Amino acid sequence: MTRYIIRRLLWGVALLFIVSALTFVLFDLLPSGDPAKLRAGRTATPQAIAHIRHELGLDKPVYTQFFDYMKGVVLHFDLGYSYYSHAPVKSLIAERLPATVSLAVGAIVIWLLVGLSVGIVSAVRQRTLIDRTAMGTALVFISAPEYWLGLLALFLFASDIGKLAVFPGAGSYVAFSSEPVKWFTALILPWLVLAASFAAVYARLLRGSLVEVLGEDYIRTARAKGLPERRVVMRHGVRSAITPIVTVLGLDIGTLLGGALLIEVVFNIPGVGRLNYDAITHADFPIVQGTVLLAALFIVVANLLVDISYAFLDPRVRFK
Amino acid sequence: MFNHHGRRAAPSLALVSAGLLALALAACGSSEDSSTSTIPLKAGESPLGQQLTGKHRGGTLTVYDHEDFEHFDPGEAYGGQDYTVLYAIERPLYSYPPNTANKLVPDVAAAAPVISDGGKTVTVAIKPHIYFSPPVNREVNSGDVAYAIERGANPNVSNPYFHSYFNDIVGAEKANGGAIAGIETPSRYAIVFHLTKPTAGLLYGALSLPLSAPVPPEFAKPLDAHSPTTYGTEYLVATGPYMLKANAQGKFLGIGYQPGKSVTLVRNPTWNPHTDYRPAYLDQININIGGEPTVIGQQVLKGQDVVQNDSPAQSIVKEAYERYPQQITFTPGSGDYYASLNNARGPFTNLDLRKAVWAALDREAIAKVRGGPLVAQPMTHFLYPGVAGYEQAGGDAGPKVDYNEHPEGDMAIAAKYMKLAGYPSGKYTGGKTLQVVGSTGEPQEGMAQIVNQTLQNLGFKTHLSLVDQSVMYDKYCTVPAQEIDVCPNGGWVRDFADPQTVLYVPFYGPAIEAQGNSNWSQVNDPKINAAMQKAELVVGEPARAEAWAKIDEMLVEQAVAAPEVYVNQASIEGSGVAGVNQLWNSGAWDYDFTSLK
Amino acid sequence: MSDPNSDRGRGGVAAPEGQLDGDPRASALLRVEDLRVQLPTEDGLLGAVDGISYELHAGRTLGIVGESGSGKTVSALALMGLNPKHARVSGRIDFDGRELLALDSQQLRALRGDELAMIFQDPLSSLHPLHRVGWQLVEAIRAHRDVAKAAARERAAELLDLVGIPDARARLHAYPHELSGGQRQRVMIAMALANEPKLLIADEPTTALDVTVQAQILALLARLQRELGMAILLVTHDLGVVAEIADEVAVMYAGRIVERGSTEQVLTAPSHPYTWGLLRSIPRLEGGAAGHGPASRAPRDSDRGAVGELEPIAGRPASLISPPSGCRFHPRCPYALPDHARIDPALAPLPDDPAHLAACLLAPEERTRLWSKEERARLGSDEERAHLWSDEERTRLGSDEEPARLGDETHG
Repeated sequence: MTRYIIRRLLWGVALLFIVSALTFVLFDLLPSGDPAKLRAGRTATPQAIAHIRHELGLDKPVYTQFFDYMKGVVLHFDLGYSYYSHAPVKSLIAERLPATVSLAVGAIVIWLLVGLSVGIVSAVRQRTLIDRTAMGTALVFISAPEYWLGLLALFLFASDIGKLAVFPGAGSYVAFSSEPVKWFTALILPWLVLAASFAAVYARLLRGSLVEVLGEDYIRTARAKGLPERRVVMRHGVRSAITPIVTVLGLDIGTLLGGALLIEVVFNIPGVGRLNYDAITHADFPIVQGTVLLAALFIVVANLLVDISYAFLDPRVRFK
Repeated sequence: MFNHHGRRAAPSLALVSAGLLALALAACGSSEDSSTSTIPLKAGESPLGQQLTGKHRGGTLTVYDHEDFEHFDPGEAYGGQDYTVLYAIERPLYSYPPNTANKLVPDVAAAAPVISDGGKTVTVAIKPHIYFSPPVNREVNSGDVAYAIERGANPNVSNPYFHSYFNDIVGAEKANGGAIAGIETPSRYAIVFHLTKPTAGLLYGALSLPLSAPVPPEFAKPLDAHSPTTYGTEYLVATGPYMLKANAQGKFLGIGYQPGKSVTLVRNPTWNPHTDYRPAYLDQININIGGEPTVIGQQVLKGQDVVQNDSPAQSIVKEAYERYPQQITFTPGSGDYYASLNNARGPFTNLDLRKAVWAALDREAIAKVRGGPLVAQPMTHFLYPGVAGYEQAGGDAGPKVDYNEHPEGDMAIAAKYMKLAGYPSGKYTGGKTLQVVGSTGEPQEGMAQIVNQTLQNLGFKTHLSLVDQSVMYDKYCTVPAQEIDVCPNGGWVRDFADPQTVLYVPFYGPAIEAQGNSNWSQVNDPKINAAMQKAELVVGEPARAEAWAKIDEMLVEQAVAAPEVYVNQASIEGSGVAGVNQLWNSGAWDYDFTSLK
Repeated sequence: MSDPNSDRGRGGVAAPEGQLDGDPRASALLRVEDLRVQLPTEDGLLGAVDGISYELHAGRTLGIVGESGSGKTVSALALMGLNPKHARVSGRIDFDGRELLALDSQQLRALRGDELAMIFQDPLSSLHPLHRVGWQLVEAIRAHRDVAKAAARERAAELLDLVGIPDARARLHAYPHELSGGQRQRVMIAMALANEPKLLIADEPTTALDVTVQAQILALLARLQRELGMAILLVTHDLGVVAEIADEVAVMYAGRIVERGSTEQVLTAPSHPYTWGLLRSIPRLEGGAAGHGPASRAPRDSDRGAVGELEPIAGRPASLISPPSGCRFHPRCPYALPDHARIDPALAPLPDDPAHLAACLLAPEERTRLWSKEERARLGSDEERAHLWSDEERTRLGSDEEPARLGDETHG
């Protein structure tokens, strides 16, 4: 097991390296967004631009630049400098991370609670009206684009522009450390919107998985033992059915921590996702490089954790 | 100047530093602008003069802004978006009150400059009792203005227009951030500029740019040693009625400015109202950065003490005009759009072909694509509303030539010119395929498609490439060697209202550059060039207006490009705001004059 | 023995079952009367179990035999109340004085795993793959007994010992997939026995195991029965298994019991063409023991591959949605007469043995005669066989669309 983990970690590092290299090359190949021009301003003289290019080390060949960049990342944890925002990328990301984490954690809790309960009820009451309604609603939420759902939620429930003034409007996010109550109320609507499609997916997933599991022989055995139906469904049924969910959950968490871009934009939450989005709009590539790397890191780690957890979830799995 | 992704989504054109922009700007004593269309219009109402005084004092204004800011350093800022904050916190030598687009008023300066020595010496008197904000706190003197300008040449500051406007100062060309020989400070309240050429008028105009806002050297020099400088990016000292909220050391980054998140402007405690024409009614201005444009628009329209700093989304403009007409302002003269035609190479070296394109193009369709008559009107000549000389050059209808008569496009007249060009069928039968390069994104794409279709209707074979806007600027339309025939997404936004800034750089032959060229049509007509050289030396507003109106007519006669639309900028405010628009900055809200009802 | 309740000869209508017989002195532990199980399907109502009756006394083993589709497993599940929710179960199931079909789900659950236990065919799929064996055993125990976990674990180890698993305490920590097939089945048995059931239902307990293990498991079951005095209801398709440990046999076809009696009687003197078909389709061993009937050791399906031809029963199992009219076996019966398509025979006792019943329209003497012919055909030479049957019979014997293969059924 330890060997497996070590091997996976090494692979993960290699993967991050490749991702960095790819983004680096992509930005170099893309015709727009010359950082020197950005720094110099659009009306700068060619001499000024050339000077800045030299200062930024952009006149060096690509592989040298990449090497310097990786050296900075590995040795000093330095992710470069954003000329648009005039700040080191590392501190910009670190500053935005709590908002993204807040958003992700709350949404995860909600969608697990809702999605899993709905999935279980649907599976147990297969083909009844409850089941069909639940799955139908789930399908609606899966199909609805997140962005549109967010706008709809605001236009219905935001206190400043909604028909029913229930929740604070877009842009009211504050850090937990400054105003915990406002932090919480401002996040309710984003949490719900973000959780909606995930909950729907998880409900359908668990329903499908559980329906299949409930048809297995060992469920019949459990009933033959005279166990209460609740226990059969939960300790025997859900226990088996939950494994594919855990896989998906791990990956979803990993992806979300990279920033729920659309939700952050619609609700104007200053997280990593919005940072990324703004950076792309401004061709601020050091930031994009950093956020891409961070997102890749989260996904690599999430993948690894999910695979490891599999060994605990399913004893039949063996690691070579 | 231009605007890239700034507050007004007007197109940006790289201003060529080498383009000699001689601005013999009118002295401040001129009368108010002759065009009534410079006054912002509340939707559906007849034009009113903006009332600037006697408003309610106090309160906090909330501002929503989808776009972030680039520079707060007066030595680096160049765009309309940054100006919305900068002109509330920094005072240049001269500036524009909000209700004029071309009438300069002394700000830090005590009076208009004294020009002597045949136009080679400019002397500016500085008002006493102007103070820097904490932590510097002391009185502003001439050395601060000198340092402010000198640091523009510092590579760590790298002011983008320094070499365009200040190059004629003795020693400026080789300057590197150190003292410039041609800038003299004979006393505390006097600064003298010695020029190599008699372009005092140019310098006067340039002294309204933020570069001339005083900067305390003892505070800023150590910061300017960093590359890039941390003055204006982390630390800042203000001279205006407001300042970025900062700590005791003057650091605002993370406090008064959180990148991508917020800007907080508070009153500058050392601001002396007796030295300033600005009333500064508001106590505080909180700017929220980011968010979805339709949501922001709704928050403003349905809100009270709120405004939107940048351009509202098209759907919001429509809704505001229909349901909140008291809360939306349209400011004309925010720029124009035209399709450049390659005068130097290819089929469009032929004047009749150019006229044919002008006649055939449906400018009303383009106006529709941009959002309809509220925000765009068909363009009829190369000066635009609010610019001096606009009326003299024909006003809204423009010069009376047949290819200009029908803004909806007229194929019959177009055919006439095609025949004159040597295509008796009325359609192009030559072998050349036109290279057309436009920009992706709406409404640019829509405009490009209309132009492309028009060319095809005239019988041209076209190869249309739609690329990212910055690519269009960097790689294609500004590089003559690419031999692009038509750039349908060309346009111009003036820096200030003088007609020269609108006509000179885009159409002056010697200003053509190999890289970063702003004369997209590569117009190089000797008669027009000579006329421009003469007109740039004309002094006095009415005379300049006449001179440049004539040049405008010549440009129309030569059909140097195919005009598309003039644009107005919309600004929206909440129901509790008595907003004042900066006419000279595309109608942006002026925080020094805006108040709460 | 005519049965006052029987209603033979009323054309086309199924006659109700005869009265149950058995030792009148001791009342049966389990008494099933006219049990029916109907399953609604897309194609119609499927009568999986169409009126069966039997008795089982404590300490005895009843084998229910039939091919796949005969309804044997469904009937076993009905006893436990484990049919699918949409199944319609009717009749009477008398277990130790309680009418099972009248119990609510809570009462039934109290019985299941306690007095009434069941083991299933495939122990790998019937044990939860993600819980340790010990956990599953402890769960079975604590479902019905109020004991502390530690005590339950002790009992679990005892149970594993009881079923013959070595190193029981260590084995508690194992996962099902870590055990061998035989061990897994032993664990299932242990789980079923956890609370000392009065009746153990075993549904094909050895089918998924290999030869040597089968014998062990059967021996284990027999031993446990002796030690614990419980009744066993053994559902199987394998006559050999029945011969090994069942005291009584009931042969099911198309949802009905077609023959019932003591194992010895049914296997040595079967009185129903279907039973003959089952016996016929068991491969003969080369020479020797098989020639004397199923006495000491009957050939089993697992003997397949031994010399001798398989002679499967012609035709397909009857459809349970729309079963054949009259005698349900008549389409596949080599001896059927035209009348048999109209009249549905009831289960009736044989003249010389009231405990031996068969549901056939042929006269008992006729059947005896036919059986000896069958035996000779099975055990005699080819030449002898050539003279046994009439052309008509031979044609019928030889014709088939798709002979039923008893060996690869897995569900009753």
